[in-house]
Amino acid sequence: MSEYRQVYPFTALVGQDQMRLALELNAVNPAIGGVLIRGEKGTAKSTAVRALARLLPELKVVKGCHYSCDPESDRLCQDCQARLGSGENPLPWETRRMRVVELPINASEDRVVGSIDLEAAIRSGERRFEPGVLAEANRQILYVDEVNLLDDHIVDVLLDAAAMGVNVVEREGISVWHPARFILVGTMNPEEGDLRPQLLDRFGLCVDVRGITDVRERVEIVLRREQFEADPEQFIADYAEQEDAERDRIRRAIAGLEQVEVAREVLEGIARLAIALEVDGHRADLVARKAAQALSAMEGRPRAGAAEVAAVAPMVMAHRIRSQPGQRPHDVAEVASRILGEA
Amino acid sequence: MSMTASGAPFRLPSWSAVVGQPRMKLALLLAAIDPAIGGVLIRGERGTAKSTLARALAGVLPPRRVVEGCAYSCDPEDPWRCPDCRARLAEDGRLPFREVPTQVVELPLGASEDRVVGSLDLEAAVREGRRVFQPGLLAEANGQVLYVDEVNLLDHHLVDVLLDAAAMGVNVVEREGISVAHPSHFVLIGTMNPEEGDLRPQLLDRFGLCVDVEGLRDPAQRVLVMQASDLDDARERDRDAALAKELRRARALLGRVVVPPQLVRTAAAIALDQQVVGHRADLVLYRAARARRALRMAQGDGDEDPTVSLQDLLEVSDLVLVHRRRSSGSGGIPAQAGESADSSEPAESGSLAEASDESMAAAGADEVGDQDEGSASEAVSSSVGADQEGGASTGSPGPGRDTEVEVADAAPSGRIQLPRERLRRHGSGRRSQTASRDHRGRYVGATVVEKTTDLALDATLRAAAPHQRSRRSQHAKPPELAISLERRDLRQKIRQRRIGNLIVFLVDASASMDAEQRMDATRSAILALLKDAYVRRDRVAMISFSGRVARTVLRPTASVDLAERQLSRLAVGGTTPLTQGLVAALEMIRSERMRDPEVLPLLVLISDGRGNISMRGEEPLVEAQQAAAQVRREQIRALVIDSSRDHLSPSSPLPMPAAPGGARLAGYAFNACADLAERMGAQYFGLFDVSEQGILRPVAEALRRSG
Repeated sequence: MSEYRQVYPFTALVGQDQMRLALELNAVNPAIGGVLIRGEKGTAKSTAVRALARLLPELKVVKGCHYSCDPESDRLCQDCQARLGSGENPLPWETRRMRVVELPINASEDRVVGSIDLEAAIRSGERRFEPGVLAEANRQILYVDEVNLLDDHIVDVLLDAAAMGVNVVEREGISVWHPARFILVGTMNPEEGDLRPQLLDRFGLCVDVRGITDVRERVEIVLRREQFEADPEQFIADYAEQEDAERDRIRRAIAGLEQVEVAREVLEGIARLAIALEVDGHRADLVARKAAQALSAMEGRPRAGAAEVAAVAPMVMAHRIRSQPGQRPHDVAEVASRILGEA
Repeated sequence: MSMTASGAPFRLPSWSAVVGQPRMKLALLLAAIDPAIGGVLIRGERGTAKSTLARALAGVLPPRRVVEGCAYSCDPEDPWRCPDCRARLAEDGRLPFREVPTQVVELPLGASEDRVVGSLDLEAAVREGRRVFQPGLLAEANGQVLYVDEVNLLDHHLVDVLLDAAAMGVNVVEREGISVAHPSHFVLIGTMNPEEGDLRPQLLDRFGLCVDVEGLRDPAQRVLVMQASDLDDARERDRDAALAKELRRARALLGRVVVPPQLVRTAAAIALDQQVVGHRADLVLYRAARARRALRMAQGDGDEDPTVSLQDLLEVSDLVLVHRRRSSGSGGIPAQAGESADSSEPAESGSLAEASDESMAAAGADEVGDQDEGSASEAVSSSVGADQEGGASTGSPGPGRDTEVEVADAAPSGRIQLPRERLRRHGSGRRSQTASRDHRGRYVGATVVEKTTDLALDATLRAAAPHQRSRRSQHAKPPELAISLERRDLRQKIRQRRIGNLIVFLVDASASMDAEQRMDATRSAILALLKDAYVRRDRVAMISFSGRVARTVLRPTASVDLAERQLSRLAVGGTTPLTQGLVAALEMIRSERMRDPEVLPLLVLISDGRGNISMRGEEPLVEAQQAAAQVRREQIRALVIDSSRDHLSPSSPLPMPAAPGGARLAGYAFNACADLAERMGAQYFGLFDVSEQGILRPVAEALRRSG
């Protein structure tokens, strides 16, 4: 659906810098592990996610592969392995833009994990696997709007796949596995209920968005939105240059990512910060390193330092702090500037 | 399900025959002129022509263009098409269309999810072995009006589906082996009686406009209503037709309307000043004011200025803002005092309403309604303000912090062991059976049962599929069927509804709670329960009572965060209107039960049981006893935590013989709280006696008893 739908340009969004940064960092390095965007109604959460699609880089994918396998990867799906085995070497490939695949909250399990192909089975008695949303989402962005309303059993399936990077299907006489690595992006309104802690931890980054309280910015939001709806094509054309520039910036950041150094002192700073904040597990450390690195890459700097770590710390750490109702949460920014300042 | 002028099961009511209600009419017309406004919510008591007008809207809506033969009624001009139309356009280079009347499609409360989003086509599957999507109400509503009567009673999962579609203008189906996305742009109209419960905030915000209606107060108009049935029907229909023409003109004029920049600024300032949530209000204000201008121009009484005036804006602002003002529930943006000269003036809602000419009657009614609500929320927000002056917004200073320490010490979270009330997924669960009986709930899986009553078609076909080849060779199937089904293939749908426990805390906030750190102990007890609710995903609500009234501090929510914040802001002082509190709790639980008969409420009363404010002019104690008895009659599980008892074994409550007369005479000489507990059929505890474990166990048991 999203392919032919007019999408509001990312660069035309007003304010919400943290949210935009978190999304772009993931575009630069998908290994960061996705974003959860929490915020009240009507704060452009969903708009931003859909807009991101236009800035995403191109991927090399094996031609005809249901799972968008990377021809250069050593982790190919069963189909691609079979093709290789039958002498189709090298596999033909093409480039495709990374996509935002939407998971509607009333999706049923068979469509999420994939299931037996009904028509094929009934008409020809053939037992064929029909890939589901997880297959489509491999190497793409998987977007769940109102993720806190997702049914628990679908959440379980998502968690399984996200943890292993593989979707294993054993149902209706079908036995299949395929790669399912995706950037999980979720949006939610906290008023509607909390997210399961396990799922919360799966999101590499988490940002809280608030309504803008500056009249001028609010006016700008209304005017741009109106211009967009009145003539989307013109509006998109008006922002084409900015979009191109931003796309370039992300492309350059991806290319330069590997070269960005993260010195040992910086890693120690991250570790000390995680300890001071009492975050759960080690995922926070890993994510903080990657996020700081991606931020440096976007800013064209050769190494990531305390400033970058401090900039990403709130979106990495805040949602991983073990919080009990009744406990005052740490102020991540404040602790970060203290700890990292010492270093 | 839908009503057309021709094929209606009953006659379509006439718009023009409805007497009065100018605000409601205006809101509906504006939403019809610019669907981007996002629909209308109409709140009001029964018998105020809410539904009549919503349905009558069909009679004045201009016709629309649809692609010939398209199952989703695609708009030929909209580049956003269903997959079929895209394919056709690519092949033929054009899409034939025709003009059809615009209908009001009704979404009945009992609708099943597959009827709403669409499902696998049974006939095509069984006869031809083809997998075909059978469009549902969301497809039918595309380009039309979707009307939900009693929208506040709609099942949660249907609300989720509606929200998704309304937000994106598209219905994405990934279920029952089907993967389809089709356009679903509709003007959402909901009507509700607020007495029967609130709307979820997320859905509330989706409604662009909102009107609170009341019965007519003017005897002359009421007479008109009585005479309306005798009205000359043909004349009313003519007036409807004329209005339809105006609407069509207004739509065409919409693009010509100019919104001056300073008015956009004023709109933003008003939205900020009213502390609305998010940015949607600004945009809706803009669109509604523009539609108002277009309607004026189309009405042809000489006013053809295409520039939106301040009056246009003011006239619609109440419609936009009334449901968006920040409730006491979330933390506040501090009110911005007069950002600009033109923003400070229309700040008061009263003056806004007065500024609009046609709306005097309705606006007057609005104000009355607002004030009732306002007094409660004001009281809360003033206490919020006091807290914030004290420093942190996350908790009150001093005692609040003590509580936190206490809780943290007392409560390693691993110790909580409560039964999980989350829905079971196997088909034999008590609740799934209940659910499948009425075919409500989200379809989450399939199972084999002895007698299939709610066929899961996709699962059945999948079960049968692997055997087709062998069955074909074994025996001949009826030639007209593409698939050979056997009894053992049949699968029953497992439906799940997001229900479960609702814990209603009824907290005494009178001055007596101030003594001996009772409030602190109460907070820590509630925090313990909240922590537990968080783990078990229960919903919680909170009502406090002090002075002369009970206040709903927190409507039923799954957000423990919110509950915690409200708890820390609870102020103490004043007399003890215990009966009012009990009655408020009863009402809340009743309305939740009305929405979902399967909800499992648990009332937790924390008080010394010494009510001293009469509600109906009787002895306060006797009134409270009556209310307590009502709790038992309505079979509401309850716990009573006596804040005046320091130490008491939970197993031995000591209620005195409790004749009403005796109570009156004895006054405080007997244990009022234990007596209430007895009458409620509740368990009874002393506040200082309940450690965290002490309070969790009884709650666990109470929940298990019913679950």
